[in-house]
This record gives sequence, C-alpha cells and structure tokens, in this order.
Amino acid sequence: MSFVALWLGVGALGGVGAIARFLLDALVSTSTGARFPLGTLVVNLSGALVLGLLVGLAVNRNTYLLAGTAVIGSYTTFSTWMLESHRLAEDGLRWLLWANVALSLLLGVGAAALGRLLGAG
Amino acid sequence: MRMSVYFGERDRAGAQLLADVLLELFADRGVHSSILLRGIEGFGIKHRLQSERLLTLSEDLPLIALAVDSQPRIEALLAQVQALSAHGLITLERARLLSGGVADAELTPGLDAVKLAIYLGRHERVGSRPAHTAVVECLHRHGVAGASVLLGLDGTAHGVRHRAGLLARNTQVPLMVQSVGESTTISSALDEIAGMLSDPSMTLERVRVCKRDGVQLAEPLLPPDTDGAGLAYWQKLVVYASEQSRYGHQQLHSGLIRRLRREGAAGATSLRGQWGYHGEHQPHGERFWSMRRHVPVLTVLLDTAANTLRWFDIVDEMTRETGLVTSEVVPALRACGPGIAHGGLELAKRQRLSE
Repeated sequence: MSFVALWLGVGALGGVGAIARFLLDALVSTSTGARFPLGTLVVNLSGALVLGLLVGLAVNRNTYLLAGTAVIGSYTTFSTWMLESHRLAEDGLRWLLWANVALSLLLGVGAAALGRLLGAG
Repeated sequence: MRMSVYFGERDRAGAQLLADVLLELFADRGVHSSILLRGIEGFGIKHRLQSERLLTLSEDLPLIALAVDSQPRIEALLAQVQALSAHGLITLERARLLSGGVADAELTPGLDAVKLAIYLGRHERVGSRPAHTAVVECLHRHGVAGASVLLGLDGTAHGVRHRAGLLARNTQVPLMVQSVGESTTISSALDEIAGMLSDPSMTLERVRVCKRDGVQLAEPLLPPDTDGAGLAYWQKLVVYASEQSRYGHQQLHSGLIRRLRREGAAGATSLRGQWGYHGEHQPHGERFWSMRRHVPVLTVLLDTAANTLRWFDIVDEMTRETGLVTSEVVPALRACGPGIAHGGLELAKRQRLSE
C-alpha cells in the first residue's frame, strides 16, 4: 500500500470512527435518558475492547494503523469523558462524578485486557 | 400580545437556520420587542432529549423565540411564522405591553398573581450597576415572589434588531427579567422600575402561583377543554428553581425533564438564568471561585389543560421542598411534527381567573 493511500485511509477511517461514536452515543443517551454520561462510557469501553483485540490478534502494522489509530482513535474520546465529568462536578452530582471516573478507568483497563485475551486466544 | 415559537437550534427554513429567518422577520416587521433564548435541556414533539450537559446531545438545543407587540401586529406575523416553522410549537398568550411608563398598568388587586417581563439591553446600566441586577434587587425588595434574568442571543428592542456576536460589545442585545408576584407587590415595584429605566419595554400577564418553597398555595388553573366556540385552551406550568435545587440526589430541573419525558408529556424546556431568586432566597448568580453554578433555572411545560393535571402531580411531588410553580392558561397553541399537527392559532376566549 502506498504511503499516500495509507494516510488518506487514516483520514477517511478516522471520519468513520467519529460518526460511529456520535451515532452510538446519541442512541444510548437518548434511549436511557439518564443524567449519567452512559453513551460516552459505552463508546470508550467498546473502543478499548476492540483496540485490545487488535493487539491480541497481532495484526500487521498498516491494519493496526487503519483500524486502531484511525478508527478507534477517533471513535473513543478522552476529552468528552473529562468534560462530562467536569459538568457533573459543576452540578454537584458527586456520586455520579466518581462513578464516571472510576467505572471508565476500571472497566476500561478490563475491556482492553479482555480484548487482548480474546484476540490472542 | 406575545407569540412564542419553540424549535431546535438546527432547524432550518430553506437554506438558512430557522432562528435567523425568524429574527430577520421580526426585525423586518419592526416587532416591538423580541428575544431569542436558548434552553439548556428539553424535549419536544420529536421526543428527542437534548441536554447541554452531555456533549452529543447538545448539538441541537431547544430555542425559544418570543415576539411581543400589539395583537394585530402579532397576528399579521402568524401566517409567515407558521409557514417557516414546519416542526415545532407556536403559542399565543395575552400579555399587555407597557411602554412609555406604567400609567396604563391598572393592576387589579386580588386577582391571582401577575407575571412581569422587562426587556433590557445586555449591558444597559442604572447608575453604576447593570440594569438587570438593579431591577432584580428592586423586585426582591418589594416582595415579588421570584425573578430570573434570561440572556438573549438575538432580538429586537423597539423594533431594531440587536444580535450577539463573539467579538462585539453586545450592549444592546436583549435580555429579559421575568418575575412573578402578587399584583400589589408587582405594582409597587413597577413604579420604582419605571423611574429607573429610560424607556423600558415591559409586559404584564395574569398567572396563578401554585407553589412557593414547597408550600402549595393553589391548584393549577383549570380551564374547560374549549371555550364556547370550540377553541381549545392549553395550559402552561413553569417551575422556577435554582440550578442547585435537588429532588433526592438529582438536580430538580434535570430530573423533572427526564421524568416528564418518561411519562409521555408533550414537551418541556429548561432555561438557565444568569441572575435571580425565588421565594425566600437572596438574588444569586454565578460566582467565580465556585465550581457549582448558583443560578436560577426555569422549566416550562405546555400541554392540554386535561393532561396538565397529571404533570402537575409530578411537579408537585418533585417540588416538595423548593421551587416556585406557576400556572397559566394559553389561549392558542399549534404543534407540528413529523406526521403530527394539532391545535390552532385562533385565540380562545378570555378566561376569568378569579373563581
């Protein structure tokens, strides 16, 4: 695969990841209607699982760049996680704030590890 | 008379955003006072929840465009507004426009409560103080039950359009101070406010205060389904609270919007004020060093008169400790959505509120 084609692929697939995040987040958030940012959590956990899976499968470098860095990189979102946590703090919803921070961390590391295990298995 | 158009930030009229087209229309017709407000949370005819607090749900926040003028001038706008706003809600309410003094206010004491809306410029001043804080302080001092300052993004003042821009000074972009109180307190505050401001634009409407700080004062207004001529009455409930008001562990306004959506209410919108008070509290606003925002939030709920009783029970339960709840009869409402169209914009007869 040529260098140019590869980077064009990163750009295009990055867009796909961003759209997928938007749609899934909107679907989860509107269907639960909860104040807790569940949509972002689902997105980040599923992204961590897939990234772990790619590592476990030991895919080649270009595939990893396209599927991992491009798709999952723009699919998952650290900034939204932080912003929504800050807003929970602003609103004084202390339990939801800590749940959002802790669940993302613990389940996120768990999801990456599980993905890797599944991929390698 | 006041026309309110409820729609979404992303709604379009042809190639342009509906918000722009509506405000252009108001400017074009020289509407006496108009203001575009952005909600922080809500749902409407499409039943999609929008919330400023979750990033993905914040890309199409609710907007409300209010236009205030004489009845014939508002009615002359209706056909065009209806044609533009294909999806959304339009209401007409009887609001008496006061301009050039308060001599024509003639408030009748004893008849329920009064809602006073004052339209000001964003950076208008009274002496060395921002005009809106001076007005709120005055309302509070006269014992008016509650007041909130709502910042406009766009609007007309005395027929001239002023629109907020990122780098502009925005001095004359409208904001509104909305207050509710007994007619005696509003009327004494009005005298002082009229002396304070040079050429204020204000409206008066009749409302009923149902609850104040958890105490139920009255049942919501209960108009019959229709007036004698078959035109429907609608009902508006407004809950005035603080952004930090709680129901259990949730924020009151946020919990209320979600509960109403779950139970199938027609629509509700929360608006954040930047300054204000309700009940026994002192006027409050954002503080620089505080993580939490101590600002007023008001939640508006519109439905048929019959359904509103159900929503009032929910509101009543959730405001058992705090909040000011008012009820108003809306004489004309039209809601349009995908495959839905109900109501109409012919005014139902005036209701007697005194019974």
